[in-house]
Amino acid sequence: MIESLEQLAFGFKVASTLNNLFYCFTGVLVGTLIGVLPGIGPIAGIALLIPATLSLDPTAAIIMLAGIYYGAMYGGSTTSILLNVPGETASVITCIDGYQMAQKGRAGAALALCAIGSFVAGTIGIFGLVFLAPPLAEAALAFGPPEYFALMVFGFIVLSNVTGTSILKSLMMAVIGLIVGTIGLDPVTGNERFTFGVIDLLGGIEFVAVAIGLFGLGEVLTNVYKPQELLDQKVTVPRFKELYPSLGDLKKAFFPILRGSGLGFGVGLVPGPAPVLATYASYLVEKKTSKHPEEFGKGAVEGVAGPEAANNAASQSAFIPLFVLGVPFGPTTAILLGALLIHGINPGPLMIKDHPMLFWGVIASMYIGNFLLLLLNLPFVPLFANILRIPKKILLPLVVLFCITGMYSVNNSVFDIWVMLICGGVGFLMMRRGFDGAPLLLAIVLGPRLEVAFRQSLMISHGDFGIFVERPIAALFLLGALLFLTLPVLRIGYRMMRKGG
Amino acid sequence: MKKEESISGVVVFLFGLVTMLASLKMPLGNFRTPGTGLFPFSLGIILMILAAMFVVKELISRQDVKGQIQRAAGAKKQLLLFLGVLILSIVLLNPLGYFLAAFFLMAGLLWILGVRGRLFVVLISLFTALTSHVLFVLWLKIPLPRGILGL
Repeated sequence: MIESLEQLAFGFKVASTLNNLFYCFTGVLVGTLIGVLPGIGPIAGIALLIPATLSLDPTAAIIMLAGIYYGAMYGGSTTSILLNVPGETASVITCIDGYQMAQKGRAGAALALCAIGSFVAGTIGIFGLVFLAPPLAEAALAFGPPEYFALMVFGFIVLSNVTGTSILKSLMMAVIGLIVGTIGLDPVTGNERFTFGVIDLLGGIEFVAVAIGLFGLGEVLTNVYKPQELLDQKVTVPRFKELYPSLGDLKKAFFPILRGSGLGFGVGLVPGPAPVLATYASYLVEKKTSKHPEEFGKGAVEGVAGPEAANNAASQSAFIPLFVLGVPFGPTTAILLGALLIHGINPGPLMIKDHPMLFWGVIASMYIGNFLLLLLNLPFVPLFANILRIPKKILLPLVVLFCITGMYSVNNSVFDIWVMLICGGVGFLMMRRGFDGAPLLLAIVLGPRLEVAFRQSLMISHGDFGIFVERPIAALFLLGALLFLTLPVLRIGYRMMRKGG
Repeated sequence: MKKEESISGVVVFLFGLVTMLASLKMPLGNFRTPGTGLFPFSLGIILMILAAMFVVKELISRQDVKGQIQRAAGAKKQLLLFLGVLILSIVLLNPLGYFLAAFFLMAGLLWILGVRGRLFVVLISLFTALTSHVLFVLWLKIPLPRGILGL
């Protein structure tokens, strides 16, 4: 434990160099802007900025990209509270009571509670990371190819269960992503697969193109397909009567923040869109435990503080599986895995030992970043909200230009822009038909690792599939996956039984 | 809508089928030493099974899925024009260069989305193209296509 604290102190030393502080600040500032603007979420935002980090050292690059991730969570809350427009999906819950508080002239108090709640959650989260990551890394050293294969299958099944409109749709997306991930050179034999003689496809489909296409361009096209009035729509930012919460508000928010932090931290460790699930779970818990549940939906302080704390804690703990196991459990951390790989860092159980500067530096930077967000958000909230006055019909072409420019700069290739455009079209159709892009993106990033783990497992066992159930950890993950697969069927059966009864 | 949902399932099924058939052209190996094609071949089969389950589920389901996105008259035309300008800008990126292509893209998209006033559109497009040129080409040193102007 003492060693971990010493390492954390080393991390603070790394994160507080002028260079890293600059990139941390840039990350949280850009993240806040991305969170404020509806139409471009953290996934597309991070993907767009990966090219800008290519010339940086890996620590500074990941500090900046991580800053965008949790900065977007802050920014998303701002628009939820002020305008009832969630900047990204994790802020949907904040709309319910946050907007009601704003309508009563208490927008400042709500925003301050968000910032304070997120900061406290960040503090709790960082200690969780410090004390949980090293022992988990030790335990993960026992993982072989069958365990990794089972863990990734578990991740896909759970993610498919909690995203999209139906598990079948999400599973299909995950399998399509795995197929797309096989394009290029076979990771074991080096043979070509599905390249059709196109040299640009030898390296596989660029995951940044898929991310920007599905989540950036797809969203733009969806907006273009909306009625003209929605593109002309202007927003009015409410006036701030009180900028800070009262002592009573803080008292009311105290336990929800603590509960939200714990809950969010736990949710971040399991597969799924962690911040989104954490906010929903926290809101439900607060409503259930409240002495005045009738106040929820009418501007309850607990309904803002709890979910916001949960959101931030989940964003932080989601880094544990990414760094320690090398397996991201959500689309945003999948993009970060891609960024790590581009920078030559292969996350996994040895990351803490092999790259202590990056691991501890990024963890410490999250704390510093949270503090910067607190300083940035409280006084400049009205300024950020004013960005929304830009009508969509001007904003959308700008987003498209950024998508094209960002995409070209990854490999200086027009081919990647075409791939992005195709993915944008597919993303648009998927949104219309209720297919979620998250499992597809995760599968593209994890596909090659999953295949290698699968083939290595079979080679170890001489073709015996029993290897996946004979090893206890692998069996446990597969059992979990099976449970999650059968859960919807059981639920339907239970409902039918109740109807029949 | 139920029909459209089923069509999505059929498209996914066909994708799985094509993947499976294309994988057969690669060495499949065996479970002891899996070949290049074994993994995509298995994925193709799994996808076909999932898609078939989806189509059957949609066909027997009594519930009708409601459209998720509001549609408006002219929205389709707007979307197609938007895509047209986008495709043309990408085609012109190398010959015209980043600056001119960015200007053309902005002007075209703004006009399609209903921003009116020629001077206003030109000024916004010029300002955006210039700013992004300074930011990406001059400051971040990204080697974007220079084109006929050599910028």
